[in-house]
Amino acid sequence: MNTPQPVEAVVALRGVHKQFGAVRAIDGIDLALAPGECVGLVGHNGAGKSTLVNLINGTLKPSQGEIDSHVTRGGRGSAIRSVFQELSLCPNLSAAENLRIAHPTLKGLGWRRRAGAEIRTSLDQVFPGHGIDTDARVDTLSIAQRQMIEIAIGFAPRGGQARLVILDEPTSSLDAGIAEQLLAHVERFCAEGGTVVFISHMLGEIFRVASRIVVMQDGRVVAERESAGFDRDSLVDAMGHVAQHAPSGEQRRHAEGSAPAGAASETVIEDAAGLSARRGEIVGLAGLAGHGQAEALAKLYFAGTSGWRAPRKPRMAFVAGDRGRDGVLPLWSILRNLSLSVLPAGARRGAVDRRAEATLGREWQQRIGIRSDDLGNPITSLSGGNQQKVLFARALASSAPIVVMDDPMRGVDVGTKQEVYALIRAEADAGRTFLWYSTETEEVCQCDRVFVFRDGKISAELSGAEISEERILAASFEMQEN
Amino acid sequence: MTPDNDKRRWRAGLLGLALSAAALSAHADTRGETAASPQSPARTQVEGQTQAPPQESATADKRIALSNNYAGNAWRQQMLAAWQAQTAPAVKTGVVAAADAFTIAENQPTDQAAQIQNLILQGYDAIVIDAASTTALNGAVQEACDAGVVVVSFDGIVTAPCAWKIVNDFHAWGREQVDYMAKRFPDGANLLEVRGLPGTFVDDDLHQGIVDELKHYPKLHIVSSVEGDWAQDVTQQAVAGVLPSLPHIDGVLNQGGEAYGVAQAFRASQREMPVIIFSNAQDELAWWAEQHRKNGYQSIAISNAPGIAVVAFWVAQRILAGEDVPKQLTVPLYHIRQDQLSEVLAHTPKGSVADQIFTRADVEKLIQQTRKAAAPGTEAATAPAQTSAATPAPAQEPKP
Amino acid sequence: MTRHSISPRKLLPLISFSVLLIATFALQERAMSYLGLNLLFNLTIPIALATIGQLLIIMVNDIDLSVGAFVSLVACIVSTLLVQHPWLGWLALAGLVLAYAALGALIHRFDLPAIVVTLGMSFIWGGLALVIMPAPGGTSPEWLRALMTVKPPLAPMAVVAALLIAAAAHLLIMRSGIGTVLRGLGGNSRSVARAGWRLSGLYALTYGLAGVFGVLAGLTLVGLYTSSGASVASSYTLLSIAGVILGGGEFIGGRVSPIGAVLGALTLSLAGSLLAFMHISPDWQIGAQGAVLILVLAARLLFTRREALL
Repeated sequence: MNTPQPVEAVVALRGVHKQFGAVRAIDGIDLALAPGECVGLVGHNGAGKSTLVNLINGTLKPSQGEIDSHVTRGGRGSAIRSVFQELSLCPNLSAAENLRIAHPTLKGLGWRRRAGAEIRTSLDQVFPGHGIDTDARVDTLSIAQRQMIEIAIGFAPRGGQARLVILDEPTSSLDAGIAEQLLAHVERFCAEGGTVVFISHMLGEIFRVASRIVVMQDGRVVAERESAGFDRDSLVDAMGHVAQHAPSGEQRRHAEGSAPAGAASETVIEDAAGLSARRGEIVGLAGLAGHGQAEALAKLYFAGTSGWRAPRKPRMAFVAGDRGRDGVLPLWSILRNLSLSVLPAGARRGAVDRRAEATLGREWQQRIGIRSDDLGNPITSLSGGNQQKVLFARALASSAPIVVMDDPMRGVDVGTKQEVYALIRAEADAGRTFLWYSTETEEVCQCDRVFVFRDGKISAELSGAEISEERILAASFEMQEN
Repeated sequence: MTPDNDKRRWRAGLLGLALSAAALSAHADTRGETAASPQSPARTQVEGQTQAPPQESATADKRIALSNNYAGNAWRQQMLAAWQAQTAPAVKTGVVAAADAFTIAENQPTDQAAQIQNLILQGYDAIVIDAASTTALNGAVQEACDAGVVVVSFDGIVTAPCAWKIVNDFHAWGREQVDYMAKRFPDGANLLEVRGLPGTFVDDDLHQGIVDELKHYPKLHIVSSVEGDWAQDVTQQAVAGVLPSLPHIDGVLNQGGEAYGVAQAFRASQREMPVIIFSNAQDELAWWAEQHRKNGYQSIAISNAPGIAVVAFWVAQRILAGEDVPKQLTVPLYHIRQDQLSEVLAHTPKGSVADQIFTRADVEKLIQQTRKAAAPGTEAATAPAQTSAATPAPAQEPKP
Repeated sequence: MTRHSISPRKLLPLISFSVLLIATFALQERAMSYLGLNLLFNLTIPIALATIGQLLIIMVNDIDLSVGAFVSLVACIVSTLLVQHPWLGWLALAGLVLAYAALGALIHRFDLPAIVVTLGMSFIWGGLALVIMPAPGGTSPEWLRALMTVKPPLAPMAVVAALLIAAAAHLLIMRSGIGTVLRGLGGNSRSVARAGWRLSGLYALTYGLAGVFGVLAGLTLVGLYTSSGASVASSYTLLSIAGVILGGGEFIGGRVSPIGAVLGALTLSLAGSLLAFMHISPDWQIGAQGAVLILVLAARLLFTRREALL
């Protein structure tokens, strides 16, 4: 610990672990949050920031270790407030009514007037001149206004006093001027003895407000210093050295001595946002989660495939990452799940050719190594990794020249991953094009070319040797303040 | 600002629409108004002279509505046809101003209550009801009575005290069946009873009539009783189910509408055909006639004629004319004897039911009889039915 | 702040109701009287109450397919048990409300689809009603009949009752603190949970309140019809859903309007009366009611699109 232990921490975590099943989300954290300080919390996706936040505010209980606090923690009337990244207001209520939900003592006649006064006061304090109608239903307001209300509710007294406010990406939907108002308020709040935990991918903001920066990785605190002790490079460096050992596509190609695949071949995809892919190329979509990659893929896929009739020769095939939501048909057998994409092609006079289907199933079972005695078993009898293989087989078995993959390796073990990498590479060499969105840098490094997304736009295009963890991270995080 | 202008335009458009609708229908209403002027003081005028023959003009401006809960079987179809056939001349000759029939879409008391309230609003002077429920319309019926509307219920009657009730004597129906069997089998007989829809007052009354009359004939025995729900298919199944366990059956008592099903069940079991009491359904009468041709089969038919709706109409008209009509009237049952069969059958279309026409004179006679019977202090309900059963007074020609 | 004016979309329930009412008055001026208004609307009072019950359930993103059967069961209890043994009757009705509350907690606790659970419950309620009352009949408690036929000064019972129901439901759902929290449940239940509320308790409360309105619907029904039967209110399920939607409510997101829902229920029955006054055969009336529903929804869609464009 670099900071001296404060006399009376608002919240203190000692040796805290949190496990979800086999996954260690938080793996031994000691952290004390003192009155008057603003702690910048940074880390890669999945580093455990959200879990840490939920442990601090009392939503989750640690599996091991202790959390001490001398203020009301958790429940209504909590002095610890969290403002989340995703909008978590009730859109059908007004700002004042949203305050009522989080307010333990607003009761009796005239509560609306008091709620309106309280939320207006808070808004005026944080965002002077905001111009928000606090009686308007939240869903009639802009995204920025909603975020402002949420922040104002976080700082509002709510029958007590806010002692610790956790802001998770609070400025992602605010413009520069409003964001500056927030940062100024955070400074004011801390100067008056309040504590703030500030999570942001805008490193400039972190440097602007944080008195101390905590860097998380794999559920651990890997670096913790006064903000002056970091500069931009050292901070990025501290955040990411994930899987440096994994061989990238570039390294592998260098080892084989071949030219990057498809460098001279025709372009098969090009969209207005600047996303493009050539035949036989593996194109990665990288960046922090939720910055528009999945939407870009979906737009591309539906633009290319939507129609009433399933074509015999589809242009694109899709591999879903969220198996349960848009991949697996849980009541069907393994074989039916696999053959779904090729049914129109294999149909004769409108009826499914069962024998051809069975042959196809056996072929792909061997090629991709689906571990099951009988393809007639229900798909849910397979492990998550093997289910994912079936989805890969479904896409690859089709004749589609383009395969779109939406974070397809979720819940897939390391061994399977290696098998799938090889398969994708072989298919790409045979002329198929892959569009591959992944949150894991290791996977992105398998690609020939990578587009890094930030705030729904492409912030960088990297190819060949440029593809590296550092470059991707740097492009993912904003440096300047807008 | 454009949005405000747009809003204004919308509102103006909607208002215009409403106004034009109002204007259109106001026009329609004035035309209707000449035919049906609001409540006239006619009733109070004639109140004092109840015994005197009422004037035709007394009801010339009165409108009568039929609120019917169901039209899905032959009996109801015939009932509506009889209403139409008998009330149309009355409207034409100016006896009443209107006699409109309304049937609700689904046989729900809630729907019929709403319909009755709408009829009140439409200014009908009397509402004739074949009710979906004996009790659930009482609220709406009370509203009608409070609004000065005459309510006459028939067939499916309502229990509200302010309503007139035109009923068939179902108790007599039961008694007459037993009497006929006693005549056919003076040395005793085994009888099978087919009952109707359980829980209904018709089923209860009819059954009680059978039970009461059997006390006079100790040689007649009911050996079994089945539920037929007034439906041929249900009856056939129920009878076929009990037949193997039964001794020889001489006669079958039923509630109308089941006879053909009973016959089918007996034919399938190879038993000797018992004497079955028939109703007015054409298929039953045809089967009966065929059996009579083949082997001299004899029986009678007893039923409630759909023409009872017309009785209710004339009763309503008499009340509107100011006559003092007893609150409950019992309409005689409709009998078809062996010697009338071929003639009745000739006039009954296939799939229909034979009917009996009640004229205005018949109804007036019925009212007189009931009033007379009530005068000595006896119950108004049953007395006249017995007389009319003995002398089949009102015209019994089948409806063409 | 000037933007805060009432949009035509919000006024739609009132507009459609007014259009139908004006047309009805024009067709049948007898309706434009103390007695006429009562006859026009009194049978809608139980439907309006059932619609508020349905609205509460729809408000938390569920749907209740057992309203009709539940109101029928209540009516059966009211017209038998409550007449013969008042204490037992009230106890049974309280038990039904508790059962509804428990149902809400269960549906939430085990994440069950409300549409399936309530469909199943409708058979249970229907069965119980048949046990209590195998054949239609029963009588209304005297005080209840007196209440439903009361003749208040100025406005008839039906109008006063409709206003009372709308005002009470508006206060409870739109104005009160707890009503706000319950609406929040439909808007974003996670947010409500994060604020420290116990969701099972809130769902139980919502369903319990819906049960209370169902009981009130059954009571008023018996007071109006003076008797009941096991399926007397079977049409209420769809009528109540239609009323909520007609009144500007939406199936998800906790966007409902109690005043609109009462107007929606009144509009639906008004549509039936209007068609009767126009001498349209009852066979067409159900279809015509559906047409009114589609028309209003189409108008709403139009308004929504225009608002989105502004």
